[in-house]
Amino acid sequence: MTKKTQKKHEESSPPAPLALLGAAWLVPGLGHLILGKRIRAGVFFGVIAAGFLTGILLSGEVGVPSVDNPFSWLSTLACAGNGVLYIIRLIWVNGLGGLLSNLPLGLEGGGDPVAAGFGYGKTFLITAGLMNLLAVLDVSDIARGAKS
Amino acid sequence: MDHLFLLVWHAFLVAVFFAFLWRSERRDQVLLFLKTFLIMVVGGVLAGWLMYPFP
Repeated sequence: MTKKTQKKHEESSPPAPLALLGAAWLVPGLGHLILGKRIRAGVFFGVIAAGFLTGILLSGEVGVPSVDNPFSWLSTLACAGNGVLYIIRLIWVNGLGGLLSNLPLGLEGGGDPVAAGFGYGKTFLITAGLMNLLAVLDVSDIARGAKS
Repeated sequence: MDHLFLLVWHAFLVAVFFAFLWRSERRDQVLLFLKTFLIMVVGGVLAGWLMYPFP
């Protein structure tokens, strides 16, 4: 297939199903697993989960939106990319009741700002989330036939 | 807490991820992994040294 015909094929192909993209976001690697890419799924899950756990163990804070700090919205978007890992961490820190009653602007992100690893931890959490968002885009490309 | 270990660990995770995201052949994956990993580790250490004189 030439580049021109491949581009035409991509443009005419329907978008990837939202349920597939949602699954890919919720559990890192699940989208690739559904599409039959077992090795890639395992590697992505391992890498993203390891990055997220490292961030938590370093006392990093997951991003939560704050009115005072516009940049917090960016770190929230990045950390929310971790899917279910992000949700579990928010429940762990806020409790299920606290999570539901304090949405969206009263949440705690956990972590220890005085800890030596606080900044590094946050970097790992953000990196893991962004990697999962890229994995979701990869799932979309594979589902549309733009990539094998 | 070992700062260098965290740098190497971070570089390892990111390099593995992009090797599998952007390459499908095993040999290409290994090459991209090595390239990304070395750039991140060596670049991080160099950037650290360059920032050393600054307060």
